[in-house]
Amino acid sequence: MSKKKNINHIPLDTSEKAAEIIAYVVLGILSLLAILPCLHVVSKGLSDGNAVTAGAIYFWPVKPQLETVNYVLTKSGFFNALKNTLIITVVGTAISMLTTVTTAYPLSRADFKGRGFISLLYVISMVFFGGIIPAYMVVRTIGILDTYWACILPFAIVQFNMFIVKNYFEGLPDEVEESAAIDGANDLRTLISIILPMSIPVLATVALLYAINYWNNYFHAMMYTSSSSMRTMQLYLYDIINNASALAESLYSTSHQGQNFAKNLTTEGMVAAAVSMSIIPIVLAYPFVQRYMIQGITVGSVKG
Amino acid sequence: MNSSMKPKRIGIGQRIHLFFVYVKRHPLLYLMLIPGLFFLCIYKFWPLYGIQMAFRKYNLFAGSNPMDAIAKSPWVGWRNFEKLIASSQFSIAVRNTLIINGMKILFLFPLPIITAILLNEIRKIGAKRFMQTVIYVPYFFSWVMIYGIFFSLLGNYGVVNNVIAALGGPRTSFFTSLSWFRWLLVFTEGWREIGYNTVIYMAAIAGIDTVLYEAAKVDGANKWKQIWHVTIPGILPTIVLLLILKVGYILDTGFEQVLIFYNPVVYDVGDIIQTYVYRLGIGKMDYARSTAMGLFNSVVAFVLIVGANTVSRKTLHRSIW
Repeated sequence: MSKKKNINHIPLDTSEKAAEIIAYVVLGILSLLAILPCLHVVSKGLSDGNAVTAGAIYFWPVKPQLETVNYVLTKSGFFNALKNTLIITVVGTAISMLTTVTTAYPLSRADFKGRGFISLLYVISMVFFGGIIPAYMVVRTIGILDTYWACILPFAIVQFNMFIVKNYFEGLPDEVEESAAIDGANDLRTLISIILPMSIPVLATVALLYAINYWNNYFHAMMYTSSSSMRTMQLYLYDIINNASALAESLYSTSHQGQNFAKNLTTEGMVAAAVSMSIIPIVLAYPFVQRYMIQGITVGSVKG
Repeated sequence: MNSSMKPKRIGIGQRIHLFFVYVKRHPLLYLMLIPGLFFLCIYKFWPLYGIQMAFRKYNLFAGSNPMDAIAKSPWVGWRNFEKLIASSQFSIAVRNTLIINGMKILFLFPLPIITAILLNEIRKIGAKRFMQTVIYVPYFFSWVMIYGIFFSLLGNYGVVNNVIAALGGPRTSFFTSLSWFRWLLVFTEGWREIGYNTVIYMAAIAGIDTVLYEAAKVDGANKWKQIWHVTIPGILPTIVLLLILKVGYILDTGFEQVLIFYNPVVYDVGDIIQTYVYRLGIGKMDYARSTAMGLFNSVVAFVLIVGANTVSRKTLHRSIW
């Protein structure tokens, strides 16, 4: 700390000032590049249909309305998709955390006999991949096609995450475990009441990594599910983006007061509204989970 | 722990005996492994058995279930591979995979390094944290969301085309343009990943001893010289490690992105190995040939990844696993 202060007491020379100005300019541009597309989509989703069609939307809504959002939420299967994704994410993350912690703990113990062999199994499974079709045949054989389980199985244990937790457990002081053993606690008890409470930050990080995997995954849902009632958020969103025009047309033809109801519904506006609905939860959750995410990156990738 | 007290060499019989003594004392540790191994066997190892489909004339209904059918389908040797290599789609997919991922490495790899160095020059903690946070947000978005966002921006009637049209230029369909499609992939990849990789480099920069900067300053080094002679050498191991990883995983990246972004019009420039595997298998139900293609990909990817890890271990003493 005091060292940093010393540096700051020396007056800034021109190169330092120049560097800071360049930094503000470049990072300012990058920040805008990150924000503006999101702002544009949300604005479009909230704007008047005519303005959307006329291409008058930039980064703020024009004549704001909620009809498009309302339509997307109520008529397009949004809540069904949200429900499916929530179930997959919650149940999946719970299962993944269970398998991850119970695998990481034995492997983290220096005295554990067989740890070399078991670790090898996990490393092998990281570098050898059977392929899309063999995996599909397995899912089909065990009869879980078109169920939540098919979307959970692929991430039920992610080796990389398991190794993050294992490395963290290895860094905990051995004395605590030893004293627990002397007190007569068995291995499961030690894990639950000693190790886990000491590992909350890494567990939160890894749980978040899993939750994002489940939440964002498009491929497994597309591969393994087929019925519309099983559609996840990502599938739903993809369909809306690609088929919004068809949806809008069907609405015109089927709805009695179609003309009236649909005056704000444009293909572009519907796509934007659906995308916005998926951006908003993430942006709302972001401030709370950001810290853990940054931890996740640093523990995961810069380990020695 | 007390290995120094044990004799140097112990017989295999004694080792098995010690193992069982340990298992008896710690049965729970072994029970704990079951859930993980259960899923590992089902989804990671069982499909490995299915690789032999690549060498068979696979008939889905030859057995009582799809996996059973594998062993009951006749062997055809290398015929699936021969057919595959003879098809023009194969070389297109291989070429596109290398070109697209090569472009991504070439144009995107340096960006987070620059971003992290610049971010480090900002003195106001609040501004620094705010910008880092903002740049990092897109990493949380799924590829479908990013597709939707850029569809909204770059579609025929998106804001970019409206501006182009207002300026008198022709509207461009970026998503169906043979010349733009790869750049679209590179740009959106950069948009999503730059913040994530910046965080990694920020952590590396934070690990550099501030004494080095002071010494450089005393020697009269200005900011640029400090960056060149202290910061960059300080994060060089991280740079090399990430570059090795990127090259090692060149066949394994970008699948979901391409699968979501591409369409038949741009197959010639956008179809990569994995999307081709997917279309062959699920689209055309040519399971055997798809598995052959997947196996080709896995073998080359395996060599690359293990090679990358060897390089990383030899030069940086760091292992991926």
